[in-house]
Amino acid sequence: MGIWALRGVTVAVALVVLLVIGTVAYSAYEDYNAVKAELVGGSKQAVGAAVLRGSMEMVSINITVPNDGLYPLNVTLTCNYPTSNVVCQRTSVDVSPGGEGVLRFLMTVSNVSQFENSGNRMINGTVAISMTPFVGLTVGTDFGGFVKTGGA
Amino acid sequence: MYDPTITTRKRITSAVWALVVNAIFWIVIPYYVGVFLAGRVPESALTVPTFVYEFGILFTILEVGAAFFQGKAVAVPLISAVALLTVVYIWYATNGGVLGVETAGITIAVSFRLMLYVLVLPSIWAAIRAPLSYMVWRRAIKTAVSSAPAASPVS
Repeated sequence: MGIWALRGVTVAVALVVLLVIGTVAYSAYEDYNAVKAELVGGSKQAVGAAVLRGSMEMVSINITVPNDGLYPLNVTLTCNYPTSNVVCQRTSVDVSPGGEGVLRFLMTVSNVSQFENSGNRMINGTVAISMTPFVGLTVGTDFGGFVKTGGA
Repeated sequence: MYDPTITTRKRITSAVWALVVNAIFWIVIPYYVGVFLAGRVPESALTVPTFVYEFGILFTILEVGAAFFQGKAVAVPLISAVALLTVVYIWYATNGGVLGVETAGITIAVSFRLMLYVLVLPSIWAAIRAPLSYMVWRRAIKTAVSSAPAASPVS
């Protein structure tokens, strides 16, 4: 009786581990393929626009995020800049399995010429993708390339 | 599993076998992986960390001890220690479930703390199971002895 109970728990633990690893790997693979297909050649590709109004420039990006995996997906875009010259709207979208969400990111540069002339044109941006609750991926990169320098 | 009738010859054979397997796994393979990485990517910082060898030595000592004392009570803490050391090793190797790399101005960080808990679950269970199976085995032996019919007196 006792030894069979121990073996039962061992099998249950192994099954849980295999199930979690399998489903997470499958979800990561499916999500990667779905997002890649949308961004590269999908019907709802990422749409970006930089609009210059006087000395102010607004950069907006709309990205459709599909979730073909088994776990909820959360995508968050944030950025920070040392001065208030650049303001980013932190945006986040939760996508349930099988669904899709739209991420709308807005970045405003209040004085483009000041931004251009400043020594620091780098806007620290962060893209956080989280497969709730197991895995999270954070990519930190420069969002300064989104700003059209030298006018629109 | 807990068979006290195992011969000393078999114990030594198992211990030597454990030593050879662990030496290959923890010393030979990491060494050649390091040589391979250094040869392929000479400018990179990709090397086999020293802690792999340090953990390897500990694993080898414990595994050899557990193999040598198999079937005896003293093997139980050694088996549990191997399992707990595996947990520590996985935790240490994955930096507690947060891995990061920075290249060409891009920082990439992967966080998988909950996944890590799941990954170490079998090792934690193995550490608990070793003393439990020993206790189950001891109870089974006691039950078998007490329920055995008494020897009939010689007339």
